[in-house]
Amino acid sequence: MKLLKYWYVLIPFALGLTAGFILTYPSVSNPVYYLRADLGILLILLGLALSTVLALVILVRSQLEAIDQTAREEAARDRRRFLSLLDHELKNPLTAIMAGLANLTADHQSATLESVESQVQRLSRLVADLRKLSDLETRPIDMGMVNLPELLEDVYELSLSRAGADRSITLSMPQAPWPLPELPADRDLLFLALHNIVDNAIKFTQPGDTIEIRASEDGSQVRVEVADTGPGIPPEELDQVWTELFRGQGARGVPGSGLGLALVQAIIRRHNGTVSIRSQLDKGTLITVSLPVRGVTGS
Amino acid sequence: MSELQPKLLLVDDDLAISENLGAFLERAGFTVLKAGDGRRALEIIQRQSPDVVVMDVLMPVMDGRQALRQLRAEENWIPVILLTQIGESTERAMALEEGADDYLNKPFDPHELVARIRAVLRRARRGQPPLAAAWKLVSGQIILDRRGKRVYFDEETLNLTPKAYALLEYLMTHPDEIVSRERLLDAVWGWEYPTGTRAVDTRIAELRAALGDDANQPTYIETLPGQGYSFRAEVTVLA
Repeated sequence: MKLLKYWYVLIPFALGLTAGFILTYPSVSNPVYYLRADLGILLILLGLALSTVLALVILVRSQLEAIDQTAREEAARDRRRFLSLLDHELKNPLTAIMAGLANLTADHQSATLESVESQVQRLSRLVADLRKLSDLETRPIDMGMVNLPELLEDVYELSLSRAGADRSITLSMPQAPWPLPELPADRDLLFLALHNIVDNAIKFTQPGDTIEIRASEDGSQVRVEVADTGPGIPPEELDQVWTELFRGQGARGVPGSGLGLALVQAIIRRHNGTVSIRSQLDKGTLITVSLPVRGVTGS
Repeated sequence: MSELQPKLLLVDDDLAISENLGAFLERAGFTVLKAGDGRRALEIIQRQSPDVVVMDVLMPVMDGRQALRQLRAEENWIPVILLTQIGESTERAMALEEGADDYLNKPFDPHELVARIRAVLRRARRGQPPLAAAWKLVSGQIILDRRGKRVYFDEETLNLTPKAYALLEYLMTHPDEIVSRERLLDAVWGWEYPTGTRAVDTRIAELRAALGDDANQPTYIETLPGQGYSFRAEVTVLA
């Protein structure tokens, strides 16, 4: 129990209890005292006591939260460290396998070899994504003023070419009274994050579904929403979609490493933004990214 | 160097890699020598003077970085390609700073390695330091100061983003070579983007604007449709 470490708050009570017991002993004189004061003074004292208690409660609670927060951060750090070790250990064998395969395929072609080759490619994509995740923790980000409408157009165009004609994808951005502001960001990373979100929507929807990319701003934040009419995510899985390597029930049979959304979250966090998800089964999913317009330093 | 069978030294402590990759490189037309650590590599380089070295970074006894530094300190300019392990951008910057001619991130497509080796051999000028080992490079109006990570154009400092600088540095140290967008992503960004190559195109546009280079009639950076980019102006070492 975390509260046990605050045992010492009970010392005054224990002292009082001991003294009280000693005074009740017959051979010890136990005089009677009456305390008299104005009601005004008493109310002031009562107010002071209540405030002290309240302050203590708040202090204890924030302490507990801080402990919780560090524990969570530590767990996240451990997980990242583990993933980067894993990435590291996978690199050498993969390099050897790729060289061996190149030898084999130079001699003869077969369906088996082709399938092995595609699996190896899948593995190396996974390793590449792992590397990105651990890289994101350490690498300096290349901040510059980014033209968000342009970037969203790019994401949109790339999505159109990936999705084909059988899904309806739309992009809406405000024009009046003014277009979206520029915002400080690492253009390549932000592109990757937004692309991953839209790409997920494409992967999990069926032909005929609708995907909407919507952007807005409120003066201090820019908000980008990606909404789809896909199968949705069961409520019990919603918390876990940001976890590395997590793949939900609906993800079976859909290609992917389970790192896409973890990457999105890591990128948006490094931009001091937030990303959240809402979803209803059989209705669809909405992912919202909010980014501060005035940036990391916050002027 | 014999034109037909260049002699290549492959240095890696992982037997699975040196065997499989060695066989592949032999098939690609190289005579392959092998070493398991940096010290052994230095011995072989002295005794058998290979034409090119492909070397891992993390190795026991003496790692690739130390071995490379020792070679360059002895003014041995044999072409070296480093196989970098750690995905950190610092390791890539280090590879070029220590005077590696090129580098590849593990895991890599072995065909890409062969392409890198051929390009390095083509560029190598026997007994002379490679461009990648020089601190100051000049091309036309451009001066690249690699120690200070600054670029001067017509003697004025250019304000480039770190990515654009790294991109220019890679292109200028590998002139006359067609570098694919994928290769640039791997070499400069260190990542493959599923979104691919737009990131490169954006930075190239930034570089061209800063250098006043016309994409249709380029002096410096040429686009080769379907293949990539090439730095076409002559690059020399500024003493």
